[in-house]
Amino acid sequence: MHSEINRIQELLANQGYVADRTIATSVYLSITLRKPLLIEGAAGVGKTEVAKVMARALDADLIRLQCYEGLDATTALYEWNYQKQLLHIRLSEGGERSLAEREAEIFSEGFLLKRPLLDAITRSQPPVLLVDEIDRADEEFEAFLLEVLSDFQVSIPEIGTIAATAIPNVVLTSNRTRELGDALRRRCLYLWIDYPTFEKELEIVRRRVPEINGRLAEQISAFMQLIRRLRLDKAPGVAETLDWSAALMALHRDHLDRAAVEETLGVLFKHHDDAAVVRAQWLDQLLDGVAVLEQEGRPWSQEAVVRAAERLAIRK
Amino acid sequence: MVPGSRGARRGAARDPQVDRARHGGLAANVVAFARMLRGRGLSIGPPEAADALRALSAVDLTDRLETYLALRAVLASGPEAQRIFDAAFWEFWGDMQQAVGAPPHGDGGAQALDGRGALDRVMIEWQEDGDAGVDGDRVPAYSPVEALTHKDFSTLSADELEEITTIVTAIARRVATRVSRRTRHARRGRLVDLRRTIRHSLRRGGEMLDILRRERKLQKTRVVLLCDVSGSMDLYSRFLIQFIFALQHAVARVETFVFSTGLSRITGSLARADLRAALEDVARQVPDWSGGTKIGRSLRRFLTDHARQALDGRTVVVIISDGWDTGEPDVLESAMAELHRRAARVIWLNPLLASPGYEPICQGMRAALPYVDVFAPAHNLDSLRRLERHLARRP
Repeated sequence: MHSEINRIQELLANQGYVADRTIATSVYLSITLRKPLLIEGAAGVGKTEVAKVMARALDADLIRLQCYEGLDATTALYEWNYQKQLLHIRLSEGGERSLAEREAEIFSEGFLLKRPLLDAITRSQPPVLLVDEIDRADEEFEAFLLEVLSDFQVSIPEIGTIAATAIPNVVLTSNRTRELGDALRRRCLYLWIDYPTFEKELEIVRRRVPEINGRLAEQISAFMQLIRRLRLDKAPGVAETLDWSAALMALHRDHLDRAAVEETLGVLFKHHDDAAVVRAQWLDQLLDGVAVLEQEGRPWSQEAVVRAAERLAIRK
Repeated sequence: MVPGSRGARRGAARDPQVDRARHGGLAANVVAFARMLRGRGLSIGPPEAADALRALSAVDLTDRLETYLALRAVLASGPEAQRIFDAAFWEFWGDMQQAVGAPPHGDGGAQALDGRGALDRVMIEWQEDGDAGVDGDRVPAYSPVEALTHKDFSTLSADELEEITTIVTAIARRVATRVSRRTRHARRGRLVDLRRTIRHSLRRGGEMLDILRRERKLQKTRVVLLCDVSGSMDLYSRFLIQFIFALQHAVARVETFVFSTGLSRITGSLARADLRAALEDVARQVPDWSGGTKIGRSLRRFLTDHARQALDGRTVVVIISDGWDTGEPDVLESAMAELHRRAARVIWLNPLLASPGYEPICQGMRAALPYVDVFAPAHNLDSLRRLERHLARRP
């Protein structure tokens, strides 16, 4: 294995990404080939964490651009500092300077507010630029972003062209609420992150909630595997697993039972409907699934969880 | 994620490219592999192949998993593409053990390549096969099957046609425009344009006498029309074709599909001005006019084959069907869920909804209903008029 990939894998491991060579290789290639990394996957599988790991691997700053519908150049790239401009006009009142001179003055770099994209290309050290949830921005923005990412320069009518002083390492994430354009895909390296397996999720829980007892961690991880087999509006991700673990710890639970789960179901589901469906139709089977695993004896594995699920007909 | 090692390899017909390339250097192999993927529908050209070559020069080639991961990151740009890639990888590189398994010395593969160098090498290899287009995108084409049944559309009266067109145009305006988050200059806009106001004020010594304004743009939405033309819809087919046609002319960006047991894209044949010719064209093109219906399967077809081009977060999907599905309700439900997720709105027009005694009880309809934003009858002119008014009330 390449030593640099190894190092990134260790950094990932500290973030709870256990032995994930797929992610490590993609991050390494993105840095080496200087190509943006496009990460897709369900919400809550830790896409954003990858950008953080990349920043740590490079010892670079992380600049984040959160996308939303209607995001435009003034929020993503730059904006003029109007208050400062107004003040300056007032302060320089009665001066001798011509209109053109004064105009040039207030539309100069000192009056420019750098937004994430401009900020990312004008640092002295190349930062990591995280364009989060690009699927939420509209197509116009996607085209605009593509332009900035291929030219690495920005033209501002009042000033002229600002060329990049450092080319940032770019990470884009998408939850796939819409398909991204082919042009953007082709410019990027692609990484798909799936929900973790039982073993991996257990490892994540142990690392991130170190004070948890072994039995509860296993039960939680198995329960999550079972729950993701159901047809839900939004399956809970790893973030929910960790929140849930923390919630159960706070309530001093040391194992899963009906009362403990019912009390904390709200932590797992973002949609009321999902919580209602699970509570009404599936809770018994899910708990039975955990009980079956307990009877079979340890160590538990992904295969054992799948077997238990099949036996109890826990499926869509 | 990683396919099982050699067992996953298929022994079936091998690409001739493979044989030609297996004795060549790494660059030749990468190009042959890229072309193979392209032949299977991935959009890969010389730039991607060049990146693949650079990626290979940056990883440990003796490590099979690493080689696989590196190539996949560069060449497969989506989950579907990854599946195609996985199958192709073992097929191709399984045979290429010599080229990858043992680190190639002397063919330049192991030394680091910059972008330019890699592209040059790839171009040399790529051109040998005299490939014309650089873009591998293939437009799904409809292959005409011999016509089974022809429908005669000539019986609709001119007045009726006129009226349908008017109402559908009004409906289209309702569903296909909305206020954008983006703005443009406007004399009487509701938003203040600070940038221009300040600049303008300089001319008056910094005194802001005029406030310049902006307003929100009207955004044109895309419309995808999915039209059931199966036997159970027989009575209404003529009327529906008229609806399709009028919509196509009222909205700039509309894609039209008809389905029964299969799905056909008919946007092309409806773009013509001559109404009658267009209708006859449709009758000729749809092979299974008035057969059974597989709504779920047809919608799924649409999602896999066409959604990428035709569907985005601001597309309104209009389905015209009675919901009598002879396929699996499961398939329909999952397809509807995905449609609902990927489109701005899903409107289902049902020509049977108004008939007395009709309840949306058939399994298909019941599976689909939770994912429908507007569910309305569409059996005659009057119901269309009401739909238009209903949509007018919505923001």
